[in-house]
Amino acid sequence: MARKWLLLFVLGVIAVLMAAPLVLTVFTSLKPTTELVNPAWYPPQELTFDHYVRVWTDGGFSGYFVNTLIISVVDAIVMILIASLAAYAMVFMEFRGKMLLQLLFVLGLMIPVTAVVLPLFQIVRSLGLLNSHLGVIFADLALAVSVFVFMFTSYFAGVPKALHEAARIDGATEFQIYRRVVMPIATPAVVTTALLEFLWSWNDLLLRLLLMTRDEMRTLSVGLLNFQGTMTRDVTGLSSGTAIMAIPVVLLFLVFQRSFVRGMTAGAVK
Amino acid sequence: MAGLELKNLSKAYGQTEVLHDINLSIADGEFIVFVGPSGCGKSTLLRMIAGLEEITGGELTIGGTRANALSPKQRDIAMVFQSYALYPQMTVAENMGFSLSLERKSKAEIAEKVQEAADALQLGPYLDRKPGQLSGGQRQRVAIGRAIVRKPKVFLLDEPLSNLDAALRSETRVEISELHQRVETTMIYVTYDQVEAMTMADRIVVLNGGYIEQVGSPMDLYNNPASEFVAGFIGSPKMNFITGPHAQVVDAATMGVRPEHFDIGPADDAWSGKVTLVERLGHDTVLYVNVAGAGSLTVNLSGQHDQRVGDTVHLKPRPEFIHKFDQNGRPLSV
Repeated sequence: MARKWLLLFVLGVIAVLMAAPLVLTVFTSLKPTTELVNPAWYPPQELTFDHYVRVWTDGGFSGYFVNTLIISVVDAIVMILIASLAAYAMVFMEFRGKMLLQLLFVLGLMIPVTAVVLPLFQIVRSLGLLNSHLGVIFADLALAVSVFVFMFTSYFAGVPKALHEAARIDGATEFQIYRRVVMPIATPAVVTTALLEFLWSWNDLLLRLLLMTRDEMRTLSVGLLNFQGTMTRDVTGLSSGTAIMAIPVVLLFLVFQRSFVRGMTAGAVK
Repeated sequence: MAGLELKNLSKAYGQTEVLHDINLSIADGEFIVFVGPSGCGKSTLLRMIAGLEEITGGELTIGGTRANALSPKQRDIAMVFQSYALYPQMTVAENMGFSLSLERKSKAEIAEKVQEAADALQLGPYLDRKPGQLSGGQRQRVAIGRAIVRKPKVFLLDEPLSNLDAALRSETRVEISELHQRVETTMIYVTYDQVEAMTMADRIVVLNGGYIEQVGSPMDLYNNPASEFVAGFIGSPKMNFITGPHAQVVDAATMGVRPEHFDIGPADDAWSGKVTLVERLGHDTVLYVNVAGAGSLTVNLSGQHDQRVGDTVHLKPRPEFIHKFDQNGRPLSV
């Protein structure tokens, strides 16, 4: 019993530490400017959504939101396709150079983003894709594909080989087996990939700062910088902008929590 | 329906050859069982016929057509897997109709054929269930249904009963035999269980260490085993092998006597031994008898007998059923 209470206490402390920044941000975003003199952890006495309206309209967040949404959704969908197809080939097919390809993917896991950011910028520029959604999407996919191939490979390795063989006997092509037999039972891996890639894409600052310099192409994370000058800081703008940015991600995690956890643990418990 | 020809078939993984020079003719509509101990190559041979393993050497023809390079689909075979290999996200009906849907058959035709197969296998009430909601026996029937719905040229069954309990095994064994009589399609069945082989097969192929030891009807293998290995593998309880002075009396390196071919009689001219264990099966009584110079012998007596552990019994092998083998385990003429 004492152990249970201790566990609850520890988990409670961790939960408070994790939730505190988000709660303080929401408090600040809903306070009238006059209440900003109060300590940050004071709940708002009077609720106002003025800062949200200001950030959404004058702050350009409506456009940034659409840009971010397009890039993140396309990133997530294309990543699921590329990573699952590559992992399918790795697990279920035999071909020349398979080992080499696997090594390349492992290499991709080990190289930090910051190390390749300049060559990546040059490649995107040489392709004429600076300040375009496509340029950022290419870069995002290239940098994260190794992680998701690895995740799908772990998941597919748990799919009985006999299923693949049964489908071959039934007359299915490799693509039919992928689409009708393997992918329908890989839902946890698909959800996890979608959520993680969406989240990484949604929150990324470095690549967007580098590859999207024109204001109309900016994303939310870059847009937040508008509220922070060298000497000044628009605290309410920053808070409501952060809240706008965080809400979709929190909602997605709440909805897909269960599948996400199953996908994350799939390789470990198979 | 089709017959098969296996000519000098071999399989190697790198430098290691696991199947050597397999020659076999399988007649159209025949029920052939590949039997042998674990690792003898029986499943590999079946998978080579299915097109799931590449053929390293030799030639395979199905229905007169060379099939070495054909895909599993082009070979027009169906296979039942040991693990059932049902698609977990599909219902029973979808599992059974999957191959037909790939052939772009109409929904009505698929439903009709699935219903026909389901009726034959008493699966009608389960068509809307997922495999996870079925018992082991029902899953096995779905796996068989998935195979028969296509009406293939050849059925391949890879240890299909090994995941079932004893009662269900014998029940499903009978169902598969009846199915074969009904569909009259060539069936190749792999098992390590000689009882399954003996009860189901038209002909049995005994494999050992990647070689075919013997091909023949169940009674042929039982009465005239081509090697000591086959003699020991076919028959339950297994044949007694006796070396030493008792074998020398009949001019053999090894003498083989099936447990049911002993008589118990008077002490004169018989092998005397002590009973170490008694198994009473009702229809049979199995004695384990320790005989000097012959070791522990298994004796299967028909009916119920009252021997007890510690009793001395006098065994006499029936001369007409004695099998004689040379040093290499090959039979000597009786």
